[in-house]
Formats: sequence, structure tokens, C-alpha cells
Amino acid sequence: MAQTIGKIQTRLMREYYKYFSKYAKGKTPESKVAWVTSFVPVEILEAMDILYYYPESYAAVIAASEREQELLAESERQFLTTDCCSYSCCIEGCVSLEDGPRGKLPKPDILIATNNQCNTLPAWWNILAERYNVPLVILDYPGEDMEKEIAYRYVKSQHDDLISELEKLTESKFEPEKLANVISNSERSVKAWQNVILNLRTKDIKPTMLFDDINYLITARCKEQTAELYDMMASELSQKEEITDGKIPVFWIGYPLWYHQDRFFSEIMYDYRIVGSNYITWWNLDYSGNNSSEKLFNAYNYTFLNLSQKTRNARLSKLIKESGAKCAISLRNKSCKCDFVSAKDISIPKSEIEIDMIDRSFLDIEKATGVLELLKTTIH
Amino acid sequence: MKILSMSGFVPEEICDTVRFSGYTGERNITHFCGYANDFISQVMLDDSIDGAIFPRSCDSTRIIPSYLKGSSKFQYQLKVPARSDDYAIEYFAMQLKQLRVAIEEYYHEELGDISNRIEMVNCRNEIIGSYYEKLDRISYKDYIDAIHEELSVALHESKHDELNRIEVTNPTYKHRVYLIGSFLANTDIIRKIEGCGLKIVGDNLPESGRIQNSIVESFDEDVYAAISRKVLSRRLSPTQNNFSKIISFDVNEMCKLHAEGVIFVSQKYCEPYDYLYSVYKKKLDELHIPVLHLSLSNSEDLSKAKLMIEAFADTL
Ligand code: SF4
Ligand code: SF4
Repeated sequence: MAQTIGKIQTRLMREYYKYFSKYAKGKTPESKVAWVTSFVPVEILEAMDILYYYPESYAAVIAASEREQELLAESERQFLTTDCCSYSCCIEGCVSLEDGPRGKLPKPDILIATNNQCNTLPAWWNILAERYNVPLVILDYPGEDMEKEIAYRYVKSQHDDLISELEKLTESKFEPEKLANVISNSERSVKAWQNVILNLRTKDIKPTMLFDDINYLITARCKEQTAELYDMMASELSQKEEITDGKIPVFWIGYPLWYHQDRFFSEIMYDYRIVGSNYITWWNLDYSGNNSSEKLFNAYNYTFLNLSQKTRNARLSKLIKESGAKCAISLRNKSCKCDFVSAKDISIPKSEIEIDMIDRSFLDIEKATGVLELLKTTIH
Repeated sequence: MKILSMSGFVPEEICDTVRFSGYTGERNITHFCGYANDFISQVMLDDSIDGAIFPRSCDSTRIIPSYLKGSSKFQYQLKVPARSDDYAIEYFAMQLKQLRVAIEEYYHEELGDISNRIEMVNCRNEIIGSYYEKLDRISYKDYIDAIHEELSVALHESKHDELNRIEVTNPTYKHRVYLIGSFLANTDIIRKIEGCGLKIVGDNLPESGRIQNSIVESFDEDVYAAISRKVLSRRLSPTQNNFSKIISFDVNEMCKLHAEGVIFVSQKYCEPYDYLYSVYKKKLDELHIPVLHLSLSNSEDLSKAKLMIEAFADTL
């Protein structure tokens, strides 16, 4: 079984990276290429046979490969201050030096960004648009404070426009049935992933695996094999031993530390066990609706970071309750103002630790150790 | 009703607002823009303020509601469209309608005639425009202070006294420069710029270059659509995601005004201007136009800024 899981993972990753310069050996993609942000309705692109790449994900790979410092320094040389989100700085360094652990990303024919997670991404995509001189599409998602009907009309017009723009780019006709199929793949992937992460609370699994494996839901959510992969993983995990280590169950609020081999500061968390994380639920998109337009609207207008504080609080409280966590570690991420406020109103004891998900120099491990020691004393 | 408004995206045509221009509060959210920080402080602490209207246009403003949660004052966040096409204009117009309803409901007060207010804003912006055209003959500090003063009084109470008091003094200067940045909460920086013999001859500030002569031309169509069109179609903010249009407009203007250099003032942790700067700087380098970047977060930065401005003036 593990062999098959491994095989699917390799196939998906090989497919994703095949046009990165390290593996492409000079071959260029036959299809058009889009660079997208994490919550772009990629189902539309998949249905139109457009290849899409996620610079944010590549920044995580760069940090995991211990290459972030040199690229962050290059970003400063490109006049982009490292006060900005480190994902963007890392990629700015990478595209400027045309270097990275897997080489260069395939050159984009179009850039698509959304504001349903933050406002940084559209600004970042603007600097990419200047560099590559290709069309830039910004999709604007009002979120939940806006009357649903108005928001739907606004989002639908933008999705329709995007489709027309892509028809022009690819010189091919959009096929609605293909989109419906692709959306159902995404729905299946989300359901299967939910079954995977359910196991974190009770089974003997390292969160590292989940922090890494959510990558398929991000970069390949509408591929048929993703649901298959997650179904296998869920079934394998459910057979694992129940955990009985007596460690303090803790909820992880924020991003994984991409530069860390375990994705969390495992070396100072020996008394704690991560039983839940909001990050691993962010791509559990809700594709409800009667047709493709409604499904895409619901999935992408109501992403976690596009919700009001009140709804976020409610969602987070529910997740924490279900996880059985007795306390929380809330990460104050230099890169991400939007995620700062996720843990504002939670009812269990929590400690804040200052980090950056990419730049390892931000973590003061001694201070973090002290904070975790203190947290222990607040738990009864 | 005393509503504090943040940003030029909050249209003055709907109701009287006081434009936020600066406040000293103890609140200090880390890695967060000082301007938004101070806005939150004023809304929370200043008893003379009973409401707040602010945009969702950058990451700092995006999360303002999370920090104002404890306040019972009127609050409204305008979701400023990330684009400026017809869909965005229609969508923003809907929000303006909703804003009006929300204000009327909260204050139990019917807001007056919008067309009247449109005339008042038009008139004010034209006056600003008339001074903008002669920036090389007036003190920029007087000009910007007068605008801030103007924006801090209710529209119907304003007789434009401060603006009308600006005198044409033909100040002497050594070099002509162009100013780029977000709302200039701390105008001391202008004193330092002018003190170094630099004359600001044009800018793209939200309270100056971007609103001068910005008027609602006709409102035969839906009045909210007309206001929305005006706000979204005038000179762009970097939060509207069209850097190339901003840069080409500005560069054209700075060439027309014979600017010898550019001073780019931004707030620390202000991502729209930080990203814009990285592109702007490369463009100006290509054109051999020197640029000074001042990223300010507090008054200590001002003394450092003074040295930087002096050094910059020497290079021109
Ligand atoms: S880390 Fe935060 S600021 Fe950066 S891209 Fe993600 S959501 Fe945006
Ligand atoms: S100064 Fe920049 S970060 Fe601050 S509120 Fe204005 S646009 Fe946002």
C-alpha cells in the first residue's frame, strides 16, 4: 500500500515539476502557463488545459532546501524589502537570479492572483507582471460581509471574463462539462483530505507529514489522482495505533516552518503533541452550489482568510474543540498580517511565538523555549 | 455624527467625515503599518469620534475590524475593488448605497442630498487643483497643511479658508523634485525637504495629486455609480493593482514638470508601496532619475530622514 501511495505522490510531483529548468532539459511546455496564487479557481485552468504553477509553494520548497537566505538577500538587491511577505521576497530572489533548488519556474504567459487570502498577493503579482510583461488578472472576492447576491454577480462576471481571456490566450473553446468534471475532482480531493486529517488527533502520526502532504490539495486539487492518494492515506492512517504518549495536546495556529525539517520546532516541543492545525484545513473549500458558477463562487469567495473575524473565530473554536487540544501555539508571522488575527479570541491557554515561515533567522529558539515552558504552567 | 474616515476611497459625498491624518496612541501592533495603527488608536480612544469608515485595500486595513471589535462605535469597512473595470464600479456603487443605509440606521438620521455634496467636493478638489498647478510658486508645506486642515472639517462647514490663504510667494529653491507616497500623516518631513532647498513640484499623494481636479462630471446615471466611477477611475492607488499605469502617468508628469529627482515616502510595513517601490526604482534607474526612499515609522526616523534628504539634495 505504502508503495502505491509513494507512486502516486511521485507521479503528481514529477508531473508538476517537469518543466522546471532542472528537469526540463531545455524542453518548453506545449501548453500555456499561468502563475497562480493559492486560492485561484484553478479548476477553470485545468479545464482549459493550462499549466499552472504556485510561486508560494516554490518558496516553501526553497526554504526547505535551505536556499532562502541567499534569495532573500537578492530580493533586497532588487529593491524589494524583506519587510514584505517572505514568499514574495524568496521568489523575487529566485526569478532575479534564475535559480532555485528545482531551477527556474516555466515562464508565465499569464499571471492570475486573488485577494481572498490577503492583499499582498495582488501587489506581488504586479511586480511579476512588470518583470514578465504578460497579462495580469486580479480576481476580487468580496468575502462574507457583502450581500450574497451582489457578491455572486461580481465574482461570476470576473470568472466569466477570465474564461474569455483564457480562450483568447489558448485559442480554444471553453467546455463547461469539462469544468464540471474537474470541480467534482476537487470536491472529492477535499473530502478525502478531511478524512486524512481526522487522524491527527488520535493516531501516532507526525504533523510534518500533513504539513507536507497538503501540498497536493494546493497544487493538484482538481487532478483525479489526488482524491485517490488521500483515500489511500486515510485508510492507512486509520489502521495506525492510537496514541498514548501522555504528551500535552496542542493546537498549532499558523503556517508550518518551511525551513525546518519537521516543519515545527520539534526540538523544543518534546512535552507537546500537535493534535490540530488550522493551516491544514485552509484548502477544505466548500464547493456547494447548483452549477459550476455557484460552486466556484462558494469555494473561492468564502476561503478561511476571506471570512470575517467572527466566522473565523467560530471555525477555529470548532477545530480546536474537535482536536481535544488543551492549549495553543499561535505563531506571529512576520510575513503575514492576515494570519496574525486568527488566534485573537480563543478560549484555551495560548502562547505567541514570533516566527517567519520562510526566514529561519526570525525564530529566537531560546525565547520560544521559555514561552513553551510557561505555557505548561497554565495548563491544568 | 463625527465619523473618522481613512483613505480617499471613503467618498465624502455620502456624509460628513473627518479625514484621519494622525494620532498618537499607545497601540503598537508589530509588523503593522503605523498609520493604520494610529487610526485604530484614535477610533478606540478619542471620545469625540463616534464612528469609523475605512477601506479593505491593503493587509493592514484588511484586519482593522479585528482590532476594533471591542468598540461600540459605528464601523464600516468598504471593500475597495482590487480592479477598476465596469464590474468593479457597479459593485463599489452597491457598497456606497449600503454604506448610506448603514449610517442612517445607526445614527437614526436621514442623510441629505448627495448632489449638493457632490458639488461641494467638486469645488474643493478644483481649488486644490488650482494650487497644484502652481506648486513651484507656493510653499508645499503650506499647501499640504491647508489640505489636511480642509479635510478635517465637515464639508458643509468648510469655506476653504485655509486653502484660500495659501500665498504665491515664489520661494527660492535649488532643485525640483516629485513626491510619491501614501497619505502624509507627518508633514514635518516636508519642512525637512524644503529646508534642503528642494521644491516639490508634483506628487501622487492621495490627498493631493490624486484628488486634485477629481470631480464627478455628471450624475444623470445612478448617483452612486457616478461617485464610484470617480473614485475608482481617478489617478490610481497601488492598491488598485495597476502599477504600470501608475508609473507611466507619474513619469510623464514628472518629465513635464522637469523634476530632477523623486522622493518616495512610505510607511514601514506598508506592502502596497513597498511592492510599488521595487518596480518604480528600476524604472527611474532606467530613466536616470535619482530617487530617495524614506520608509518611516516614527519620529526617530525623521532625524535619520533629514540626513538622507541632505545627502540626496547634494547628489542632484
Ligand atoms: S503568507 Fe500571508 S501575506 Fe504572504 S502570501 Fe500568504 S497570506 Fe499573503
Ligand atoms: S499606509 Fe500603506 S499599509 Fe498603511 S493603511 Fe495606507 S496603504 Fe495600508
